[in-house]
Amino acid sequence: MTYKQLTDWVTSTQIYKAIFRHGYEDTPRNRALTTFSNVLYHLHPVKTRRESIKIRYTWCMGGTSMLLFLMLAITGVLLMFYYVPDARRAYNDIKDIMNVVSFGSTFRNVHRLAAHLMVFTVWVHMTRVFLTGSYKSPREFNWIIGVVLLMLTLLLSWTGYLLPWDQLALWAITVGTKMAAAAPFLGVEGPFGAQLGIRPDNDLKFMLLGGTEVGQNALLRFYVLHCVVLPLMVVMFLAIHFWRVRKDGFSGPL
Amino acid sequence: MADKSFEVFPKNPKKTYGLMELVKGTGPIVNKEPEDTIFTWPNLFYLEFIVALIIIAGILFLSLYVGAPLEEEASRDTTPNPMKAPWYFLGLQEMLVFFDPWIAGVGLPTLILIGLMLIPFLDINKKGKGYYTFSERKFAISSFSFGMGLWMVMIVIGVWFRGLDWNWYWPWENAHLHKPVASGLRDLPVMFSRILGISDFAGKGLADFLVLIYFGLGLLIPAYIFKDFFKKLGVLRYATTMVMFWIMVGIPVKVGLRLVFSIKYVVMTPWFKI
Amino acid sequence: MSNIGDEKITRRDFFSLVGWAGIAATMGGSAFSFYKYYFPNVLYESQKVFKIGKPSDYPIGLSENWKKERQVWVVRTERGLYAMISICRHLGCTPNWFSDKQVFLCPCHGSIYDLGGNVLGGPAPRLLWRAAIKIDPVDGQIVVDFNHRQDPDPVSTESGLKVDEASREVEPFFIKV
Repeated sequence: MTYKQLTDWVTSTQIYKAIFRHGYEDTPRNRALTTFSNVLYHLHPVKTRRESIKIRYTWCMGGTSMLLFLMLAITGVLLMFYYVPDARRAYNDIKDIMNVVSFGSTFRNVHRLAAHLMVFTVWVHMTRVFLTGSYKSPREFNWIIGVVLLMLTLLLSWTGYLLPWDQLALWAITVGTKMAAAAPFLGVEGPFGAQLGIRPDNDLKFMLLGGTEVGQNALLRFYVLHCVVLPLMVVMFLAIHFWRVRKDGFSGPL
Repeated sequence: MADKSFEVFPKNPKKTYGLMELVKGTGPIVNKEPEDTIFTWPNLFYLEFIVALIIIAGILFLSLYVGAPLEEEASRDTTPNPMKAPWYFLGLQEMLVFFDPWIAGVGLPTLILIGLMLIPFLDINKKGKGYYTFSERKFAISSFSFGMGLWMVMIVIGVWFRGLDWNWYWPWENAHLHKPVASGLRDLPVMFSRILGISDFAGKGLADFLVLIYFGLGLLIPAYIFKDFFKKLGVLRYATTMVMFWIMVGIPVKVGLRLVFSIKYVVMTPWFKI
Repeated sequence: MSNIGDEKITRRDFFSLVGWAGIAATMGGSAFSFYKYYFPNVLYESQKVFKIGKPSDYPIGLSENWKKERQVWVVRTERGLYAMISICRHLGCTPNWFSDKQVFLCPCHGSIYDLGGNVLGGPAPRLLWRAAIKIDPVDGQIVVDFNHRQDPDPVSTESGLKVDEASREVEPFFIKV
């Protein structure tokens, strides 16, 4: 059986036709159908401007950020199978993941590396969009969504920082939440905080930590934010981001 | 085109799309020349696929050699020295040396985010849309690069030049040796009242006045020199742009005042100090 | 139906208004319950009032015995004894004591304090807290109230932020020995 015969047979089966709503032959029609009959691919238009997909132009940073987000979601879910957000065992769970679980250290390393890289790529993506003036009318709103996504990316890395419950984690979060306590109006130590009746037990820091110190409540709150709330928000804003790229048109030299 | 009977609407077999309806309205691609477009499949998808493969391979390869750090278990009695935030926050951590926490930790990040979000509404220059150009948008590109450069310099300082007790360490210095205690920070209003022999209140007033002059001149002089720029933007846009710009420039100015004159605060009020 | 000026509110307008008011009240109530839910009413944190032994246990100078467990330093001077909270006023790191230089140095952003908690340098905006202390009349031990803290307004001087030591050595933040 030749390769041609094999593909002909596979593409003629009912299963293939049930999954793919288009033929196999390389025709313009099939090329178009490939894009718009697939739920993931149809985020893209059927045809794109030759200039606007050049790597020299896009630096491929937005797509890379999306890829890294997917990698983080997958490795993150894997890590969740062995991690319990309990202040007494969180550190030991991470040790287990690093030393005892098969491929645990690989997945944690990938999660960590991808997280660092994602902050970098999101940042470079923003720089590129600025330099090519791609935020200008009619794309103003999508730039705002982009800034929100940058903020969410930073919040995701910050909340993830606490979870290993090591010295780095504890003190980074101590410092970070102390800044919340110094927020004007909302924090107990911030300007106008005391005048507005803000106390250590009703300020922004207390709300973030669920207590007056970085302890069990804080770990659980950061875990929920890191694994559920923030990723969901990222997905929602990403959907709007991609949708608006399509609706506002790809930028690129005209 | 094997199955011709399927294509009812487009009479031209080479077309994969047809005219459905004419509607009035504006779109982003109006009054433009016919475009040089290519099929997304396979041109763009293959590109994305190859980049994805390279990135995944790179990360997997790196993960064999660069491990995620895990320090000692969290303990409240000792803070690691130096305590460094992740690299992307080191710009803020560096700012914490020069500003009070509410500015460095809350005020500046909020201003940065708001400023970034405002960019498309402040920059109404029609040129340079969708392509890189410096000559057509000199102010936009240079001020953005200034901010980005500042941010990067802060990160580089934080990662490689800060050591024990957050002191400055050159790479060739012994990073385990504590530096002598540097002390003696002064406040600008106090300096004024002492040097000029005026009351504390007058010293504060003078310092506040200087800050007002800084922003006032910063608003007036560019409006006078670049009249077109001012007219095009209008008062509100111009004022927002310039205040944001001078706050950004003010950050290294304040850092410079600290490093050269050991000045801690410039503006002092009973509620907050800057 | 009421008349406001010349405008007549129709039955339809009235019910529309009532409907929207109801929706707004529901949204407001949910927002408030969301907000309140984030503030726990019962905490399972370490005790904030605790005993740290008798004054005679502490020789002149600084004791770091309780730093790890309770985050306080106990300082004994010729005049008496006070408990200083080992939380940097800048961003809450734990400063380290250097007995050769007689200063506390904060590893996070380099704040410098002297033994009395005065700020000698660095970004710290205020002085180190001192906790309220008293002698338990039954067993003679020192009782520290971690949440009751002395936080005087500092004076800015050439050599940092200072507070007159005599004004800090008052009840209940100081025990004369």
